[in-house]
Amino acid sequence: MKVTTPFPQPFLIAALCLSALGATSTLARAAGPEVVAGPAADAQCFVPWTDKTKYFKYAKKPGPYRIALANGFIGNTWRIQMIKTAKAYAEQPEVKKQLKEFKVVSTGDDIAAQISAVNNFIDSGYDAVVIDAQNPTAFKGVVKRAQAAGVVLVAFDNTIDTDAAINVNVDQEGLGKYWGDWLVKNLPKGGSILEVRGVTGTSVDTDRHKGLQETLKASGQKFETVEVVGRWDDGTAQKVSADALAVHKKFDGMTAQGGSTGMVRAFMDAGAPLVPAAAETENGFRKLCLADQAKGLNCASGGTGPAQVAVAIKTALTALNGDVVPQSIRLPLAHVEDPGFKAGDNVYPDQTDNFFVGNSFPTCGINFTAQEIMGRSEANQ
Amino acid sequence: MKDWQYRLRGARTTLSAIAVFIVIFALYAAKHDGGFTGNVAQTAANKGVLLAFVAIGQCFVVLTAGIDLSVGAVFILADCLASTLVTGSPLAVAFGVVAVLVAGLACGLVNGLIVVYGRLQPIVATIATGAIYFGLALWVRPEPGGDIDSNLADAVTGQLPGGIPSSLVLLLAIILLVWVPFRRSVMGRAVYAVGSSEASAYMSGLPIRRAKLLAYGFAGLFSAVGGLMLSFITYSGEASATNASTYTLNSIAAVVIGGVSLFGGAGSAIGAVFGALIFRTINDLLFVFDLDPLWQPLFLGLVLLAAVSFGSLRLLRIRNRLELFGQ
Repeated sequence: MKVTTPFPQPFLIAALCLSALGATSTLARAAGPEVVAGPAADAQCFVPWTDKTKYFKYAKKPGPYRIALANGFIGNTWRIQMIKTAKAYAEQPEVKKQLKEFKVVSTGDDIAAQISAVNNFIDSGYDAVVIDAQNPTAFKGVVKRAQAAGVVLVAFDNTIDTDAAINVNVDQEGLGKYWGDWLVKNLPKGGSILEVRGVTGTSVDTDRHKGLQETLKASGQKFETVEVVGRWDDGTAQKVSADALAVHKKFDGMTAQGGSTGMVRAFMDAGAPLVPAAAETENGFRKLCLADQAKGLNCASGGTGPAQVAVAIKTALTALNGDVVPQSIRLPLAHVEDPGFKAGDNVYPDQTDNFFVGNSFPTCGINFTAQEIMGRSEANQ
Repeated sequence: MKDWQYRLRGARTTLSAIAVFIVIFALYAAKHDGGFTGNVAQTAANKGVLLAFVAIGQCFVVLTAGIDLSVGAVFILADCLASTLVTGSPLAVAFGVVAVLVAGLACGLVNGLIVVYGRLQPIVATIATGAIYFGLALWVRPEPGGDIDSNLADAVTGQLPGGIPSSLVLLLAIILLVWVPFRRSVMGRAVYAVGSSEASAYMSGLPIRRAKLLAYGFAGLFSAVGGLMLSFITYSGEASATNASTYTLNSIAAVVIGGVSLFGGAGSAIGAVFGALIFRTINDLLFVFDLDPLWQPLFLGLVLLAAVSFGSLRLLRIRNRLELFGQ
């Protein structure tokens, strides 16, 4: 056997190979959807993100369609409820008749696995792929391939940085405004407000905070806010709210970005007056609102829960039907205010506190009951 | 026994990894809705080659009876560096590629220096350096983004005429250019000898320290090649801690599935490559079989356990590692 000493410069050679490959690459480039003038076909549901948002018109395809959901990470209640909701939506009769197949794959944290899952769906002839993306910047190649194949891509929750596929965006600032507006309406003379914020440093936290604060300021009334950090978690929110109550004794209103149940519980435990509460869509919070209406607890509950996956699927169906849709969509809010809370309709006393109940998007004609979501078997088809 | 019979025996674990890969990939391709087209092969190849590079890197260290828990972090660091450096004029792109590879090599050598001269356990040393490399990656790219020369990226992740995935050709070229000469060199044999029995290797006068340094250096270098590949697939960089640990663990799984002994001294990088391809194909089975989404992780775990057991079956049965080389 030949015995050689260390090494040539293999990587120079490898680099040469790379550049040689460059000359022979074959990657098809083709047209995506037609860019047209608005408005969208279902303008009430598909609200454009800004005035400058483009509108897409895909070539009309005959149904029924094959649609895939390429989820990444799965391992918290939000994602699990999202997948259950997607399945429940695909089973609703008017949706079911448009679908030939609805397939769900969760690829975990690995971005390369999610990219190849979407590529596989495209190559397998699926008509549309709905994505909850692991990384906003990693899908350039996927978008090109989808365009070449005429496949409709819709990203939601974690959207992708592109103007060549459809994004369904959550309007976090709008949610803050919604809470602010409701508080202004219920506290016409202004007052002191406890604001339970989310995870520090995230854009969701800063956007929601900004929307709330700007609305309170714009009201012209005198509002003082005490900010505490609740990290969107019931336990943390309850502790920091209790601390704030111990120091300030009394508030005129309260609002939480998440951990809403914990915030209200802190007021109850401290025996503090139950002041108007504007918060997220946890079932626990709505249960308290329902049970304590008589004691004067007045609530507004809004958010964009896991049911937003249904809006994304609806967008894909609309695009496949050849109807005009905005490239970037502002997701509507699912919200309920007192006295609208109704057991079995938008509050579920027999479900856990952690269930997200913001499942109704009336402007899109989308609504789910807890039974529809939780009772759904997770088997495909 | 004839010479070729010895060699066949030595390559048995690698050959069985190849056989397993062929069986499960055939199952996957047969069940795929799109059929076995160029695009399907390209998608599978890109994902497989990405992990294969990291697994080759891990294989070098595992052969010395060590383990490198920083490969995932070097992989992510290379991805983040590539997303800032591999862009611009052709010269800048070439410089960027070289710089990323040199950075990977440097990371690996630092590991090697700490293990060889610092005499720290590999597992502890590389956990610590892995955290440092990930910290650097986060510093280079605090938010996902950046840009990659798209011509180069399309070329490496695309198809050659005839639908052959370019990434596969690249992998083959690197195996031929690096692994084959390495395996035949004195250094290569020293790496195996150190893993088999460090004391005997020392008594035989083999360059133990240099062999170990080389193994760790290669681990860093190949992880960086994997990181480059990731940035070619994603056209960007992201300092993702979860991806770093995912790839570290997957590389160890791939190495074991490919028949490389975690006790060192047995196995080959070609086995590790097929271990990586098997690992990826197992994940792809999710795609062709209709499985309940909430059961997918459990299913993957079970198949993975079976694959790892199969890969190390022969290693469990032997009493003396010398048996792997003959009798």
